[in-house]
Amino acid sequence: MIRTLAYLPAGPAAPAFHRFRSPAGEHVLIVRHSRIFDLPPEAAAVFDSPSPQAEGLAEALGRSTEGEAPLEAVAMPEPQSLSLNVSASCNLSCSYCYAGRGGFGGLQPEPMSWAVARAAIDRLLAVADPSAPITVGFLGGEPFVNRSLIHQAVQYAADAARSRGLDVRFSVTTNGTLLRAQDVDLLRSHPFAVTVSIDGGADLQNAQRPAASGGDSFALLRARTRALLEAPGQARLSARATVTRHRLDLTDRFDSIRALGFPEVGFSPLRTGGDAEGPLRGSDWPEYLDALTGLARRELRRALDGGPIRLTNLAVALKQLHRGASAPYPCGAGAGYFSVSSSGTWYACHRAIGSPTYELGDSRGLDEARRARFLTDRHVHAQAACGTCWARYLCSGGCHQEATARTDSSCGFIRGWLDFCLAAYCELADRHPDYWEAEDRGAGSAAIHTREVSP
Amino acid sequence: MSTVKLLARNVAAQRRAADPRRPPRLVPGNSVSTRLESGVGNCFPGLECDLRNLERRFFPFLEVDVLEDLDELRVVSVDKAGIDAAEASGALDAATAAAYRTLGDNMPETPTTTNAAWMVRVIEGTFGPFGTRTLSLPLSVDSFGPERGPTDAWTAIRTLTEDTAVTIEVRRAGVAPVTLRGRRARYLDDNGALADMFLPGELTQSLCSPWTHDFRDCACFYWASNHPDIALPPDPPANTADIRWDLRVDWERRDRTPGQPPAPATADGPEAQMAHHEINRDWQKLNFVLEDREHTGPYRQKPRTITTPFPPADLERQLRYAAGVEIAVMQAYLAAAFSLRDPESVTGALADDIAAAQYEIMRIAVSEMRHIRGVRDVLAALAPAPPFDPPLRVATRVPGLKANDPPLALPPSALTRERLKVFIEIEGPNLAVDGLYNRILATLELMGNARSEEAIRRIMTEGEDHQKVFKAIQEWLRPHEEVRYLRAVDLARPPAGNLAHDDLQIRYRAVLDSLHKGYSQTTVSGAPDVNAARNAMIGPLLAACETVAQAGFVVTFDFPPDPRFAAIDPPQ
Repeated sequence: MIRTLAYLPAGPAAPAFHRFRSPAGEHVLIVRHSRIFDLPPEAAAVFDSPSPQAEGLAEALGRSTEGEAPLEAVAMPEPQSLSLNVSASCNLSCSYCYAGRGGFGGLQPEPMSWAVARAAIDRLLAVADPSAPITVGFLGGEPFVNRSLIHQAVQYAADAARSRGLDVRFSVTTNGTLLRAQDVDLLRSHPFAVTVSIDGGADLQNAQRPAASGGDSFALLRARTRALLEAPGQARLSARATVTRHRLDLTDRFDSIRALGFPEVGFSPLRTGGDAEGPLRGSDWPEYLDALTGLARRELRRALDGGPIRLTNLAVALKQLHRGASAPYPCGAGAGYFSVSSSGTWYACHRAIGSPTYELGDSRGLDEARRARFLTDRHVHAQAACGTCWARYLCSGGCHQEATARTDSSCGFIRGWLDFCLAAYCELADRHPDYWEAEDRGAGSAAIHTREVSP
Repeated sequence: MSTVKLLARNVAAQRRAADPRRPPRLVPGNSVSTRLESGVGNCFPGLECDLRNLERRFFPFLEVDVLEDLDELRVVSVDKAGIDAAEASGALDAATAAAYRTLGDNMPETPTTTNAAWMVRVIEGTFGPFGTRTLSLPLSVDSFGPERGPTDAWTAIRTLTEDTAVTIEVRRAGVAPVTLRGRRARYLDDNGALADMFLPGELTQSLCSPWTHDFRDCACFYWASNHPDIALPPDPPANTADIRWDLRVDWERRDRTPGQPPAPATADGPEAQMAHHEINRDWQKLNFVLEDREHTGPYRQKPRTITTPFPPADLERQLRYAAGVEIAVMQAYLAAAFSLRDPESVTGALADDIAAAQYEIMRIAVSEMRHIRGVRDVLAALAPAPPFDPPLRVATRVPGLKANDPPLALPPSALTRERLKVFIEIEGPNLAVDGLYNRILATLELMGNARSEEAIRRIMTEGEDHQKVFKAIQEWLRPHEEVRYLRAVDLARPPAGNLAHDDLQIRYRAVLDSLHKGYSQTTVSGAPDVNAARNAMIGPLLAACETVAQAGFVVTFDFPPDPRFAAIDPPQ
């Protein structure tokens, strides 16, 4: 059951539409509900500049229709996804790690016990909407440091799902270097979304993600993920690369990672992190945008010729734009998604383990008042900086944890990227109207706990 | 300009551009226009399928042939795998499964020979209108009278009620009879799609030609687009002014030269059509028809018109003006109707044409009255609390006839050709009155008021009909000179002090008073006053109009001095 706690109106200066063009013609994005229309010349002229008529039309076009949740609602659903921070350590030593190699600066000193994991799973299965997919994720540290707990938890959740007729899926974010045959079997035989963290080819990977003991993490990753990449079974694999300001080029590392056999590669720019030199700064963002759109353009050409898109950022953005994704929150943190620390505390987000502001309860129950406050404070209509932005229901203010690092430059990057994706969507949809046919027919994939329209 | 044309690109835009009462949803199976129930069923054994084949699997796990004379049912196959599976799952008991196997294990090699085949000889079940009974085949029951039964075996199994208990006895020469109990098979599954038991191609297997073959001779220009006989030609050049691209052509025409408009369809077209054998051979050359036009390439959606809403705070003012516009055009229509000669004073076709025009204009005037009521109801639904002030003020000017035209005054006039053109434009789509309602509707949609939206949609739909009727009147009157159907081309307003005119104003005022009283109350409590207004209108008011007209003047309604009925200007 979803409870609506309040309705927060959008600010008076909120733009109702955004004009853009693509090789397919002239278009407008209606900000509310992310509706995209093609504009014949006469209509294009109407939307070329703000006017009472354009505002009125955009308001009419943005009206919620049946089945669309109002964007003003502060909604509190039951938990539907959990991530379990099963380990408190990692065999790699990445300079930018938000989790301090799993220890969160001493706030998570011990790995998770079976009793804690079971209690969290029991609670999730008891309260989640049984008609929708339920996701159990594994994080750390490196989750496979605590391999036996993962195996035990998956078996337990899968058995419970079978006996109760629930659709339980799994996800794991791993550095891939500790996978053993038994782990590969586990991932293959369950609906797992497996995200492997890898930053590029050998040089870059070993520089940014060195093994704590000084070994070659790239070689280790390649050796340990090969079997799963060759025969993934039920697992859906993707690679995720962190981009620091030291190396903003993307194409070579994309090709290096793809060469290992990953079907998809996504990039995340570093905004905050332990290493003060790593996060992107003002002048880095235009350069990073150029790098990302350059790679995305190459992928778009493949898609126009009928091939699949392998750049996760683009594939997800286009899918979301096709659907008309629009939400007042960037992710499910504190709403349908929680992250459980090894001590059993439920936090709104896996990046906030140990942070009192994000602490919302435990497996015996959630603190509803704290949760309500958390959700109200983080609604995009409560973010002053987003009040005049046309991208506010696509980006939704971005990651809560990174909000403090938000600057005009980083927001400019997001708008630039979305502008590229909007045009790319219209061009691809014009050439291949059936490109998202599987999506239209309701085909789903393993749920992910963060939305990835914003890069 | 209050409207623009847009094309919905993504799913969210298509959802908004669709009819708001019909949210998009996945429909199992093929679209309804391709389903059996949309087929042509006015001939036997059918055009798109052989109807007899629908009964081939009336009894579970058996397939039967309905023989030529429809009197006998011959078993042609037994679904042994299905029986095994049903028994294993517990859906079929062991005794029934064994009985089926007796049948299946003793099937003749060529079960098409009646003498050697298993034949259905007895059926016990519920035969729809013929009730529950036991029938022996071939049938020998009366098809009339109190004991009437089905005329033949095929009719018998067609009338068996779906999913009811049926017992059949099957016999074959030299073997002991087999009795089977089961439930009458259903034609459709729970989703409304054809049941799984039918195999691909089974329903058409006994037809000799595609349905398009039979349609060649129809020439009735009657069929819906899933069975096209005429359609708009494919691939018109962009922005063409050649009207032939908008004339319907024969779908099965022989000349299929691309790039030029085909000859328009005519009722005597067989010569221009493909021959039967050509249709059987080349049916795949017939084009897909979507939205009335043939398509040879991928479908491209047409732009949809989107309208700018009024600011919600302005809605009441616009609705009051809209009601005023209805009264103003109604007065103009009455002036026009009473400017026509009495049909009985002329002869021949002219008399018929005048009578028809007069009748239709009066019908439209009455319909405008309903519109005032509709607008009143929308206003009443928006009103916070009584007292409610009904919208009975007359608009000084109606909305302009073209985009960006200023509002237009409609002084009373005879139904000249020029005035008729104005009427046609006033009732046209997207502009003038319809443009005003479009914006009112867009505003109501924004506010989410479904019932009021429906009321406004009804008014707009009737407006479309009005324009068609005025165009028809234009055609009826075209052969006649204005002077022959009008009392006078330049009918003047009655002079001051004209008694007939003054009397009309008194009657008009009485109608308004009653209407105001009725419309101020609820629908039920106001009904007697609204009825009184109606009676005063169709009695004394129309009689007074006739008196003015007979005196040689145009029927004119003055703006009453009462503020409740005072003139209302177009909102700025």
